[in-house]
Amino acid sequence: MYFKVLLNKIFGYITIEVEGYFIERFMNLCNQRKIFLWNLKRIHSTIMNVNIGINDFKKLKQIAKKTKCRVKIKKKRGLPFLLQRYKKRKIFFALFLLILISIVVLSNFIWNIEIIGNEQIPSEEISQILEKSNFKVGRCKIGINTKEVINQIRLERDDIAWAGIEIRGTNATVKIVEADLKPELISEEEYCNLVATKDGIITKITAQNGTPVVEEGEVVKKGSVLVGGWLEGKYTGTRYVHANGEVQAKVWYSEKVQIPLKQMKKEKTGNEENKYSVKVNNFEINLAKRVSKFKKYDTIESTKKLKLFSDFYLPIEIHKTNFQEYQEKEIVYTLQEAENIGIQEAKQKLDEKVPNKDMISDEKIYKEQTSEYVEIEVVYEVLENIATKEKIIF
Amino acid sequence: MAKPKKKAPSKVNKLLDIPQEVSTNIPKITIIGFEQMLIENYKSILEYQEFYIRISTYIGILNINGYELNLREMTTDDLIITGKIDAIDFEPIVDEQ
Repeated sequence: MYFKVLLNKIFGYITIEVEGYFIERFMNLCNQRKIFLWNLKRIHSTIMNVNIGINDFKKLKQIAKKTKCRVKIKKKRGLPFLLQRYKKRKIFFALFLLILISIVVLSNFIWNIEIIGNEQIPSEEISQILEKSNFKVGRCKIGINTKEVINQIRLERDDIAWAGIEIRGTNATVKIVEADLKPELISEEEYCNLVATKDGIITKITAQNGTPVVEEGEVVKKGSVLVGGWLEGKYTGTRYVHANGEVQAKVWYSEKVQIPLKQMKKEKTGNEENKYSVKVNNFEINLAKRVSKFKKYDTIESTKKLKLFSDFYLPIEIHKTNFQEYQEKEIVYTLQEAENIGIQEAKQKLDEKVPNKDMISDEKIYKEQTSEYVEIEVVYEVLENIATKEKIIF
Repeated sequence: MAKPKKKAPSKVNKLLDIPQEVSTNIPKITIIGFEQMLIENYKSILEYQEFYIRISTYIGILNINGYELNLREMTTDDLIITGKIDAIDFEPIVDEQ
């Protein structure tokens, strides 16, 4: 029953007003002809409101004549009436269709190419290769052979270990894994020396092959030979070999930091200003003046790509410029504070430099102070293997 | 109305325990709360006013008194009446044999 009402609501129904003396007869006749009526309301002794489906309404004419009732349409509801209302708006529908079609068509193109994973190789070079193999912004998605493009990339560049192309909606992501540049391997048959990579004092030499040239405790400079690639025998004379071994040496890493006692420090006032601009391809439209109203400010720029649905990226970007006001404040450090800050800074910088922190054997801090600043030098003494192989060139 | 006029269920229907409102023409009246009423197997509406509805069934006449009575849905078999129902009474047809 309820289903019938629902169906009628979709396919259209009307509320009519039946006026006459034989309304009961009218209802019974409707019943006999299997006309579905609902929401019958007797308003007056001679007037009744009835809901009826539009298809049944045509049959009503006969019944109304028979029972001498007058039928008036009060309300029209449902989809057919709604559509009829929009029949006059042909342009609206045409544009609606056009938009639908254009969305479907445009979603078959690539509007964005993102290159990720590259650290050393500039993105432009990769996009040039992509363009060469006809993989560029504005290309139809259908008929792209990603494998071919990947092969093209791998062929042109040696320093790319792996490349993958993922097309999601209108967004293509080119993932790249850079190959580490291989250290020059010297084959076992070739002759080589062991050479120092850094300055330092030698603490231990273990030569598996070759003749040690330096002694423990000796100061070596970068590039000097540590283990020679030759052996001297009593009977055989000088014979060249592939030197091999490990040379441990004390190496120093130092970092100098100057900390002025008087410093200007930025302090945010909390005032912010946002400015937007729209960027279509490379054409930028500013929606506001670019200059900020603040005297001193930081500028933070961010862009957001517009997208439809979840993955249909449009070639339109919204560029947001955020200005944050700050004030400069003078801070005067005491000597102790300045030293602490300096040591911390220097150590932080050193930590990035030193490859193996476990091998730090000693740590020295030198201080020097003037009326304006404190100079701090932190020196780490690290035990390291400094030997690398170098081919002997005759 | 293609329904055969049966007043009592046949033996087969009794045996199979088929509901009476299906196997015969006896009306089934369901009252939900005080404001809704469902009548199945009715014949026709004799009178419909806001305060009084008179419905004829195969076994007699059903009178409903109340206020603001509306017929919410009306099909050939079922009738849903909503409104404040005050009283219901029956006028059974007496078999003259």
